[in-house]
Amino acid sequence: MSILAPEDDGPLLRVAGLSAYYGELRALTNIGFEIERGEILSIIGANGAGKTTLLKSLVGLMNRGRMARIEGRIEFEGRAIENLATEDIVNAGIALVPEGRRLFSRLSVQENLMAGAYLPRCRSTLKERLDEIYALFPVLAERRRQIVSQMSGGEQQMVAIGRALMSSPTLILFDELSLGLAPFVVDDIYRKVSQIHELGVTAIVIEQDMKRALHVASHVFVMLEGHVVLEGKPENVTEEQVSAAYFGTGIEGLG
Amino acid sequence: MSEDLYWTLIDIANGLLSGAMLGGYYAIISLGLALVFGVMRLVNLAHGDWLIVAAYIAAVVVQFLGFPPFVSLIVVVPAMFVIGYALQRYLLNRVSVQAMEEKGMSSNFGLMSPILVTFGMSIVIAHALLGIFASDATGIKNALSYSAIRLTQDLSISTLRLIFFGIAGAILVSVHLFLHRSHAGRAIRAASDDPEVASLMGMRTERIYALASAISLAVAGVAGVAVGMSRTFQPFDGPQFLLIAFGVVIVGGLGSIAGSLVGGVLLGITQVLAGTYFGPSAQLVAGYMLILFVLAVRPQGLFSR
Repeated sequence: MSILAPEDDGPLLRVAGLSAYYGELRALTNIGFEIERGEILSIIGANGAGKTTLLKSLVGLMNRGRMARIEGRIEFEGRAIENLATEDIVNAGIALVPEGRRLFSRLSVQENLMAGAYLPRCRSTLKERLDEIYALFPVLAERRRQIVSQMSGGEQQMVAIGRALMSSPTLILFDELSLGLAPFVVDDIYRKVSQIHELGVTAIVIEQDMKRALHVASHVFVMLEGHVVLEGKPENVTEEQVSAAYFGTGIEGLG
Repeated sequence: MSEDLYWTLIDIANGLLSGAMLGGYYAIISLGLALVFGVMRLVNLAHGDWLIVAAYIAAVVVQFLGFPPFVSLIVVVPAMFVIGYALQRYLLNRVSVQAMEEKGMSSNFGLMSPILVTFGMSIVIAHALLGIFASDATGIKNALSYSAIRLTQDLSISTLRLIFFGIAGAILVSVHLFLHRSHAGRAIRAASDDPEVASLMGMRTERIYALASAISLAVAGVAGVAVGMSRTFQPFDGPQFLLIAFGVVIVGGLGSIAGSLVGGVLLGITQVLAGTYFGPSAQLVAGYMLILFVLAVRPQGLFSR
């Protein structure tokens, strides 16, 4: 252990003055927020509002070369990570469940999960971790040899979540968790998210479904054109305020 | 059975056997090319030239260090592994699709530039070999050159080809097991599927690509020793092995290890039988006709999913 080990009482994640660019196009403008351990942050916003870009920035996928770049500061457990490579950020304890699942389509369920435990620090506990994932998603245990491209969307989403959990993350980012899934499947997925949260994992969830986003969250953001236009605890914001912020008609909101 | 029919059957049987044996090393020549293409979408036009480099390394090791021919593998294979790793890590990764996208260029440019780079590499390698070794045909002298195993009175297999067929089979099986059973192998398959998500799993794709390329050239190194021990070779022989590798990939289908063995064996048999009946000059033509036929009937290859 380093004597400079981060103190545990600070926020888990602190973002300050974060802007992101695709070439000349600015996709995020001066984003700042903090997440405490154990929170669930829901981010709501229309397509193109910058939600995915925000998550990509957090895992180092926006500082790859000249085309995609970020400015600002991102601290995870007190340590600056904005210049780290994706691999190092994942090693530090952040995992992303990407939009559209993006499973390794020619690999089996179990191989996808094992790929999630690629990091050297995960390998000694791989077996135990697999058992935990199969306990969380029993349906995957039955189909561990199946090639993932032959599975339903909901099952694929479970594999994607399981794969991200294999690296034992402290913070897990869910991008468009319910996109393209049937409502009863989404209910199931969100029950799993609650279970994961109860295990002590902090989460950021991008969700199009406003009711669900407000329901699951301990903190809510609404994004519009690269800005955070509404922020608050779900019990303090009304759906009307969220809608107004979503469509950019009532930016004064709670601020 | 009439004597004519007997000899016809013996000719065919000998052709099948020796073609199949030839197919073993055709399979490993193509394995490296297919692995690199499958993982990185990179066509290494210098693949055959690196095979010839391996043959020359083996020849030098045997001639000047006095190694027995097969023992040269313990020098050639690690040397080719290192060359493959360094080549990818410090040269080809810089002109890859991802590198070009990061520089803000079109991904088409990223598909084209490695082709140009490896094409140039092919020319440089051939001329460097010419400069060092001159254009005389070289071979690796070994006791097994003219040795054969008699199966019946009239049916026999070249000992050397049988040994290399066994080695090729062992390599194909080991590469398959490596890709499916090891962390590094899974990482190679994952990165070939989606490099960005692979990096989200903590995989360093630039190293994974280098590893795939290292394996590709190490395997080509074995093929190089096989070539060097079974025939003579010259600095400009590389491209013909590249063509063989392309042929095997087309016949067998891309991304299938079983396909590369079957493709290699079919191509080998076709060439040897054509050589038997129509003379040595028919070998290449027959091989290309098989490739054309497969392209017309089953363009994705016999084993492609």
